[in-house]
Amino acid sequence: MSSHSESHYPHDMWVFPDAQSTTQDVAGKTASTPGILKLGLAIAGVLAILGVVGFVLRMTTDGFSDYGAWGYYAAIFSYIFVITSSAPLVAVAFRLTKSHWRRPISRISELFALVGVVNVILYIPLIYLLPPINNPNFVPGMHGELQIRKTIWMEVPFGAPHLWDFLGIISLAVLSLVILWVSVVPDLAEARSSASGWRNKLYALLAGHWYGTKKQWIHQKISLALLGALYFMMVVFVHFLIVSDFAMSLIPGWKDSILPPLYTVTGFQSALSIILIIAFTMRKWGGYEKYFGTSVFWSASKIQIGLTLLWTYHLFAFFITLWYGRMELEQNILRYLMFESYSWIFWLNVIFIFLVPFWILVWNPVRKTAWGPALAGISILIGNLLFQIRMFVGAFNAGDIYHLGLFKVPPPVFPDLWDVFIVLGGIGLVAFIYLIGTRILPALAVWEVKEGAMYQKMDTLYRGEYLVLAKPE
Amino acid sequence: MAKSPILGLFKDANAAADAGDALKSSGVSENDIDFLTDAPYPEGAFGEREEKHRLYLFPFIGATLGLSAAILLTSMTQLAYPLVTGGKPILALPAMAVVSYEGTMLGAILFTCLGVIFESRLPKLKSGLYDTRITEGYIGVLASVEDGDLDQTRGILNQAGADDVKTEG
Repeated sequence: MSSHSESHYPHDMWVFPDAQSTTQDVAGKTASTPGILKLGLAIAGVLAILGVVGFVLRMTTDGFSDYGAWGYYAAIFSYIFVITSSAPLVAVAFRLTKSHWRRPISRISELFALVGVVNVILYIPLIYLLPPINNPNFVPGMHGELQIRKTIWMEVPFGAPHLWDFLGIISLAVLSLVILWVSVVPDLAEARSSASGWRNKLYALLAGHWYGTKKQWIHQKISLALLGALYFMMVVFVHFLIVSDFAMSLIPGWKDSILPPLYTVTGFQSALSIILIIAFTMRKWGGYEKYFGTSVFWSASKIQIGLTLLWTYHLFAFFITLWYGRMELEQNILRYLMFESYSWIFWLNVIFIFLVPFWILVWNPVRKTAWGPALAGISILIGNLLFQIRMFVGAFNAGDIYHLGLFKVPPPVFPDLWDVFIVLGGIGLVAFIYLIGTRILPALAVWEVKEGAMYQKMDTLYRGEYLVLAKPE
Repeated sequence: MAKSPILGLFKDANAAADAGDALKSSGVSENDIDFLTDAPYPEGAFGEREEKHRLYLFPFIGATLGLSAAILLTSMTQLAYPLVTGGKPILALPAMAVVSYEGTMLGAILFTCLGVIFESRLPKLKSGLYDTRITEGYIGVLASVEDGDLDQTRGILNQAGADDVKTEG
């Protein structure tokens, strides 16, 4: 690792990993489980078990007929789904734009594919919970009641909404796993020579065909580009399906074109945040400091602040549309989700997802640190959880969904003990699976870091020392 | 005569590129020379042949089939239950849009995943000639030559500066 002390940037702004030792170093880190990680696994495991207990008790006390009782379950599903489905995009998008700083965080992002399976499992109860589109109690001439509730599934085509939503979530899970596999194959092929036991067998099974020929590298590059483009097109669409079917269509009279993009921006903002938190943790306590320069955080923080501002713009657009219309039914939606029933959650949501991260990230010296963007990320994740609770608990408890509109502002629904268990359990389950994933697959894209090391060096220009970056494409 | 693989290991990428040129000059076909690396080098860095691929065809075929299936499904459903809603035509495009988009994407995704596996020629049951030093940054120059030319090829690779030359067996 060469230094660049003459540079006017901090000494750890850019790092130059030694390509020769990277494979062995990362393979060694993957195979070992330090004490702090064991503790993390134990905590995550206990939380996951609490979640299962909460789920079982919720099921036995309320069953699946009263969907209102499952608002917090829907909120935590949505929280996990929107973050973990967006996370692989960080690798995909910045690889497509050839942003070299993304190299150390690519695998952190791709490993969230493993959580895609959790999304599929957590979604299954929601299939039974989603009320029918056709009003079962409809009588022609009934005042204020709809025969078919407001939904994006006009004419209710075959399988709508359950089958299409489920196919969307499964396709995202499969696609992200294929992206992970295509990306991780070169690293597994390299690690298979030093791996032993089950690890050797698994690596040989997944990457036995890989030798690093020119043809294989080109196929890998094209495959990642194609799969990445498809993933982007699909994830935005599935976000649209989930937030429309499980939030918007369950609040009578709520028609809003801003909500799906707001939901997606929330996902992108949170996904980048959780990746930066993991990167900070790996750098600080995981022994990966020689792979993560501060430049990774500095570059990502600019995207993060952009997404934070975009979130606020979308929130304002969401508010102003309904407020400007001055229709009482739409004003009731604002009162319900923002200014009366869930007002304190709304304001905390705004503070954590906008004010705090904006105030942290607006300072360039803070953006140039590793802790600044990670700290802003923690705030954003808290804000996102509050957003999901506001939207989904609100939607699941908004009253008669076949009404023309929200004639009365419903009261807020607070969590009981089982809800708390379910929320904590969801977070624990994701952490557990992700941590297990980092013990099986390398948490650093070795081939990508090596490629990056080949293209950059420090050089002098007059009296300053600067990063020189080759861009072969 | 049967062809056998021979692998030269180079510490220096320039020497590996020179070895490739020397092999071509000695009459080894461009298609029989490959470069094994631990990271993706820029295309043409070793003066190698241009690799062709057909991966982009798979998403197009899948998307076309998926869109066709989705349009068939939605239009046939609407025609089978011809209910006029809000004065809109029976075959209304907005009502078909969501399913059509998802059908297109599902088809494209499925075919692309299959295409990735097919173009990688998986599963591969026979392992090839390799050396773990490639994972440490060495460049492997892999040539497939006739058995009688193995000694001559070994000489060319050594002359180009190979640290080691390996053959099967």
